[in-house]
Amino acid sequence: MSAGLAIDAALALVLPVLAWAVVATPDLRKAIVLFMALGLVAALAWARLAAPDIALVEAAIGTGVTGALLMSCVPWAESLTPASRRARADLALAGALAVVACLGWAIRALPEAGPGLTPAVLGALEVSGVEHPVTAVLLNYRSYDTLLEIVVLVAAAIGIDAVLPDDDARRRLAPPARSLVGVLSHLLVPGAVLVAGFLVWKGAHAPGGAFQAGAVLAAGGILLLFARRLRPVPFAARALRGALLAGPLLFLGVAVAPLVRGGRLLELPVAWAGVLILAIETVLVVTIAIVLLMFFPARVLASSRAPAATVEDPP
Amino acid sequence: MSAWQLYALSGLAWFGVGMWGLFAHAHWVRKILAVNVAGSGLFLVLAALARRATTPAPDPVPHALVLTGIVVGISATALALSVARRLAEVEATARLDEDATHEPAAPPAGADARAGGDAAPPPAGGGAPP
Amino acid sequence: MTEPAWVAGVVVIPLVGALIAVLAGRRAAPIAVVTAVGAAVAAAALVRQIARDGVVEHAVGGWAAPLGIALRADGLSALFVAAVAVVGTAAIVYALAHPGTPHRFHAAWLLGWAGLAALAVSADAFNLYVALELLTLAGATLVALASEAAALRAALRYILLALAGSLAYLFGVVLLYAAHATLELSALGAAVTPGPVTAVAIAAMVAGLALKSALFPLHGWLPPAYAGAPAASAVVLAGLLGKASFLVLVRLWFEVVPPSLRPDAGLLLGVLGAAGALWGAVLALRQTRLRRLLAYSSVGQLGYLFLVFPLGTGPALAGAVYLVLAHAAAKAALFMAAGSIERACGSDELGALRGLAPRMPLTFLTIGLAGLTLMGLPPSGGFVAKWLLLGASLETGQWWWAIVLVVGGFLAAAYVFRVLRLAFLPAAGAAAIARAPRGAELPALALALVSLGLGLAAAPPLALLGAGP
Repeated sequence: MSAGLAIDAALALVLPVLAWAVVATPDLRKAIVLFMALGLVAALAWARLAAPDIALVEAAIGTGVTGALLMSCVPWAESLTPASRRARADLALAGALAVVACLGWAIRALPEAGPGLTPAVLGALEVSGVEHPVTAVLLNYRSYDTLLEIVVLVAAAIGIDAVLPDDDARRRLAPPARSLVGVLSHLLVPGAVLVAGFLVWKGAHAPGGAFQAGAVLAAGGILLLFARRLRPVPFAARALRGALLAGPLLFLGVAVAPLVRGGRLLELPVAWAGVLILAIETVLVVTIAIVLLMFFPARVLASSRAPAATVEDPP
Repeated sequence: MSAWQLYALSGLAWFGVGMWGLFAHAHWVRKILAVNVAGSGLFLVLAALARRATTPAPDPVPHALVLTGIVVGISATALALSVARRLAEVEATARLDEDATHEPAAPPAGADARAGGDAAPPPAGGGAPP
Repeated sequence: MTEPAWVAGVVVIPLVGALIAVLAGRRAAPIAVVTAVGAAVAAAALVRQIARDGVVEHAVGGWAAPLGIALRADGLSALFVAAVAVVGTAAIVYALAHPGTPHRFHAAWLLGWAGLAALAVSADAFNLYVALELLTLAGATLVALASEAAALRAALRYILLALAGSLAYLFGVVLLYAAHATLELSALGAAVTPGPVTAVAIAAMVAGLALKSALFPLHGWLPPAYAGAPAASAVVLAGLLGKASFLVLVRLWFEVVPPSLRPDAGLLLGVLGAAGALWGAVLALRQTRLRRLLAYSSVGQLGYLFLVFPLGTGPALAGAVYLVLAHAAAKAALFMAAGSIERACGSDELGALRGLAPRMPLTFLTIGLAGLTLMGLPPSGGFVAKWLLLGASLETGQWWWAIVLVVGGFLAAAYVFRVLRLAFLPAAGAAAIARAPRGAELPALALALVSLGLGLAAAPPLALLGAGP
């Protein structure tokens, strides 16, 4: 057994065990910490599978933002009435085992080699406007998926806004905290903006792109939120909704423009593909960052005794 | 066993653990966490299967699908947690109202009369908010 | 001059409208009206185009499958998009008139509209996953708009079960892609061969979609969601969003599942569907609140749809699709009526219905007309649908499904007449009721008439279905 395969075997064993620990740990806070640890260990697996794009997004969004979101729920999570009277752990375990056995049987039956669509992707790369295959898939060949996915993000923003209590529309602004986070935010946030810009530019020919950049930008924003240097995002402000929707609207505009000339939805002219993709990605970064920031509740962040510097509703 | 099979089966076990957690846990936030675990496991399966390419680089299409899946996942997670947070607030208000109208010794009534049979389990024994 | 790409237009128009509605905030209602008109025009144009030219294909981005995503609209797509336009427009009119509709309803519903249209015209297994997730989020938002504990709990349950269903579906998609390197449905259908990969992948996808369509015994999330949502939300949820996963299941079944797998799996789905049809109807009889009664009735009606899987293509498929259309109009009308009654009486307890009919004649006329479709009585669209399903079950020698259809019809008659009988009883006291606005009563009546019209003029829609595979 080669050293590489030994690493693979060890990782393959550790990951489900860690996942088990996340699910089985009784304490919610510990479970969330384990969940983030699972994400970090998984980064090794992504590296071994030559998936740097997934590693970036999974670390930033799947682990970072999700973990922070879950953590923000710890104060009230236990007070919620449970979903069901009693947990049916045995039944669930039997069901999960059966499902895993069936799916495992299918995975074992898959052919050993599968080139997938690699030849097709590489063959069309020259006219895609970018050099990085994953970006070509996301923003050209399958850009319709990405368009709908941005709409999913907007749908989440609407839903989050919809369940806010009315008095929450006027958010309180907490005073800046003089803490380590506050000091760190000075250093890290300009860095986050720089890294985000770099990732978008780089996404054209190497791993990187709008989602990675948006997540990094949002991470900077989350830091500022925790340091109380940024107002929790008030959806009622029209300027914010405008900034949020600029990306999707531009994307839709690019999507519809060819239809007017009798072309296909989302058809990018070869000469303009690179520029359009960069433009779409740049505005999407802002959308993604704002929506990810919106996910964080003002309630939990703002202290109740803070002076009421409110954000006005639009008229 | 080849490397891709190792990771695919590992991701499968990871997925299975998450699915188990989704149905085994009674608490909303634990269920949401479990769904996220299951999702990440499935993404590992997808990335592992992409590694079966005979070319030096893996198949980029599954990688793009995973990126889409991650963004869809965080959207659903964030919405679910927001709904849960609102529910916690509504329940806390309901309990405060109850405390105000009943004498302190009164047992907690059903969480919400509107919910009907299968939607309103009685509140948990412990874990009452301050 | 080539014809505009209506197949893309039916998705893009509600999408743009939804985003502008978000931007407009509290003033979203006029945007919703304009969008509904535009999307309805596009839907009508798509119907006309398919009736004339047959199946329409559109390679998004100019990239042919398997590299790109294919849009494909057949008769089934066109009829569903048309149903979305009719019910969706009526729901927006209803929302404008029904007092207390949250202003965020419009943006959430337009997103749902876009998701339904995207789902109806997509020929790509992964793209369908994204469209389904868009519907999950839009649907959960529509439920959670009520902001009451019961509705919030229902929304959470809806999200979690829908996510579990989506993950199961996605796992199946992943396996099929790994085996055949394409996500395009008809290419997958041509490539699949019986074996472990196909069987497990199909099982995972079918199970996930069945969970999302509230197939018995996975229906527990549905009644609290429909009963707890705001009135206008319940209209589009019960009328349209609840059928989205079934539509994907039909596509999967008749385009991808190899015929050798169909008999056994179809029998299982048929048995569960029949159980759901009877169980839902029995529970509907036992409810004490109108909206819960209607929600359990939906569990039952969704059950009938699953009889298409053992009965196969041809008249059974036409019957199931026809039931989707007739039930979309009828159930949307009934939930509108229930919302108006709840508004007028302050509650939708069945006891509050006593003596209400003379005071809200239009609303009870709506309930009576739409009730015909639930019972499957002529001349309603529900009758045509059940007639086709009955014929298919006798023709294929599977008479036991016919018994389910007949018994289910009697149970439906029992719960519809229970509601109407109460309403026509003399009023117990002179309880004050608020007047229901005409703007809320008329779209309900219009939809009830549509469900009736589907029975009177069944030939054109059924001919359109013949345009599909």
